Amino acid sequence: MENLFDKIVTSPMKDCFQKLIEFLPNLLSSMVIFVLGFLSGWVIKSVIQKLLEVFNTDRFCQRMGITPVLEKGGIRTTPTRLLSQISYWFVVIVFFIMALYTLKIPAIEDLLEKFFLYLPNVFVSVLLIVVGYILSNFAGRATLIAAVNSGMKFSGLLSKTVKTIVFLLSFTMALEQLGIGRDTVIAAFTIVFGGIVLALSIAFGLGGKDVAKEYLEKKFRGEIEKEDDLKHL
Amino acid sequence: MPENTIALRKEVQEKIRELGDADIVVGIPSYNNARTIGHVVRAVQAGLSKYFPDSKSVLVNSDGGSTDGTMDVVRETTVDFDSILLHHRVGNLHKIITPYHGIPGKGSAFRTIFEIAKSLNVKACAVVDSDLRSITPEWIELLVSPVLNAGYDYVAPYYHRHKYDGTITNTIVYPMTRALYGHRIRQPIGGDFGLSGRLASFYLSKNVWETDVARFGIDIWMTTTAVANAFKVCQAFLGAKIHDPKEPGSDLSAMLHQVVSSVFNLMEEYADVWREIEGSKAVPTFGFVYSVGLEPINVNLDGMIEKFRLGVKELSVMYESFLPGELMWFLATVGEKPKDKFSIPDNVWVEIVYNFAVACHRKLMSREHIIKSLTPLYLGKVASFVIETWESTASEVEQRLEELCLAFEKEKPYLIGKWFEEEEEEER
Repeated sequence: MENLFDKIVTSPMKDCFQKLIEFLPNLLSSMVIFVLGFLSGWVIKSVIQKLLEVFNTDRFCQRMGITPVLEKGGIRTTPTRLLSQISYWFVVIVFFIMALYTLKIPAIEDLLEKFFLYLPNVFVSVLLIVVGYILSNFAGRATLIAAVNSGMKFSGLLSKTVKTIVFLLSFTMALEQLGIGRDTVIAAFTIVFGGIVLALSIAFGLGGKDVAKEYLEKKFRGEIEKEDDLKHL
Repeated sequence: MPENTIALRKEVQEKIRELGDADIVVGIPSYNNARTIGHVVRAVQAGLSKYFPDSKSVLVNSDGGSTDGTMDVVRETTVDFDSILLHHRVGNLHKIITPYHGIPGKGSAFRTIFEIAKSLNVKACAVVDSDLRSITPEWIELLVSPVLNAGYDYVAPYYHRHKYDGTITNTIVYPMTRALYGHRIRQPIGGDFGLSGRLASFYLSKNVWETDVARFGIDIWMTTTAVANAFKVCQAFLGAKIHDPKEPGSDLSAMLHQVVSSVFNLMEEYADVWREIEGSKAVPTFGFVYSVGLEPINVNLDGMIEKFRLGVKELSVMYESFLPGELMWFLATVGEKPKDKFSIPDNVWVEIVYNFAVACHRKLMSREHIIKSLTPLYLGKVASFVIETWESTASEVEQRLEELCLAFEKEKPYLIGKWFEEEEEEER
C-alpha cells in the first residue's frame, strides 16, 4: 500500500517538483529578458525618433500623401511618433520572443521557429503595400492632372481607376508573398484586370474606330487644328 | 587663352589661336534650320559690316547635330554688300561653325558660344535664333551697341507683339521678374539678346550646364542671373519677331511647367536678393518703339473657361493643401458665373501664383504636379484678361498689364512672409 501511494502520488510529485526547480532559473532569465525588452525598446524608440526628425520624415509623409491617409484612419499622431512607437513595440516583441525561447519548452520553440521563418514575408508584404500605396497616389495624381489639362470630363474617374489598379496590383503581390490563397488571388486579379482591358478595347475599338481613324489621318497629314491663335510664349 | 570649361574641337581651337582676340561674337544656335538660317546669317553679316566695320567680328554657329545641311548653309552663305550698302565696307568678319557638346538643348549651344567668346576675349556678344524671318541688320546694332558704346552688360529684346501674345510672359514671368528683382524687363524670355564679354564669362562660371537650364530654361536664367547679380541691363526694341512656324498643338502644361519651374528654381537661388528689393524701376530702352494696328485673332474663351471649371472641380483636393480657404471659395464661385461675368481679379491671381511658388519651395508634393496643376487656373486668368480687354487697344492692354504688375509688387510682402515663415520659426 505504501509502495502504491509512493508510486502514484509521491514519486510523480517529486518529479514535478524537480522539474519545477529545474524550470525556475529559465523562468527567472525569461522575466529578466522581458523587462530588458521594455528598457531597450525605450532606448531604440528615442534614437529612431531623433533620426526620423533629422530626416524630415513628417514632411516626406505629408508630401507622399501618407499623413492624410493616417488622419482619415483616425490616427492623429505624426508619422515620426507612429514609427518610433512601432519600433518600440517591435523591440519589446522581439525580447518577448527571446524570453519565450529561454523557457526551453519544445512546443513553444517549434511555434516560434515557424513564426520567424514567416516574418520576412510579412515584412516584404508590408513594404509592398506601403510602396504600392505611394506609387498609386503618385500615378493617380499624375493621371488626374494630365487628364484635366487635356480637358477630359471623366478625369476624376480615370485617375481613381489608375490609382485602384496600381494599388490592387501591389496588394495582390503582397498577398502572394504571404501565401494567402496564392493561386486564387492571382487568378482573380488576372481575370478582373484582363476583363477590364478587354472590355475597354472592344468599347473603344468598335465604338471609337471612326474617331481614331480621323485623328490618325489628321495627325499623319499634320492637320491637327489649333483651338485658338493664342501664342502663350 | 583663358581656360575653357568644355573641350572645343581641334579645328575650333586652331581657329581661335589664329584669330587671337576679337571685338564681337554673334552666335547662332541651330538644329535642322537649313531653310531659315541663311537669311539670319546674311542679316548678321550685313549688320556687322554696316554698323561695326572697324571691329573684328566672329559669327559662331553652334549646332546640335543637324542632318539637313544647316552647317553647310552657314559656311556657304555670303552677302551681296553692293545691294544693301551704299558704301561697300570690307568687314573684318570671320566664321566658326561647330557642333556643341553637352545635354541637347539651347543652353548647351549657348555655352559653346560663350566659351568661344571668352577665348577670344570679346567686348560684346550677341545671340540670335536660327529660324528668324524678321531679323534685319539693325537687330545686330541694337543688341551690340548698348554694350560696346554705352557700357551695358545685358541687352534684353523687346518685340512688337499682338496684345494677346505671350500670355505666360504677360501674366506670370514679366510681373514676377519685375516684382522680385526690381527691373522692368518687358520680355525676359526673349530668345535674342546682347551681352558683354564680362557677363559671358560670369555665366560660364555658374554650374548649371548639366541641369534643366541647358535644356529649356536658358533665356529666363540669363535674364534673372544678370539682374540678380547687379549687372547693368537694358532692352532693345527690335520690332516684330516672326519665326518659322513650329508644329502646332504643343502641350501648354509642359510649356508652363518648363517656364514656371525655371522661375521658381531661380527664386530658390536668389531668395536673399529678392527679399530685400522693393518696387521696381524702368530699364533704358534702345530703338524706336512703335505699334501697328491689331489683326483679329481667334480665341477659344469657352474652351478656356471650361478647362478652368474642370480644373477647379477635379483638382480642388490638391489645391486645398496649399491655397487658402478664401481663395478656394472664390475659385469655386467664379466658375459658376456666366462668361460675361467671369473675372479673376489681379490680387486673386497674384495670391495664386505666390502660393504655388511657396508650395514648390516647401516641397509639399512633386514640383511637376504642382506646376502642371496651375494650367487650368492660368487659362482662367487668360480668359478673364481677354474678356476684360477684348475692345482695348494695344496701349490700353499694356496699361492693364501695368496694373497687374503693380499688384504683384504690392503683394510681395505676402510672398516674403510665407516663403520665409518656416525659416523664421526655426530661428525662434
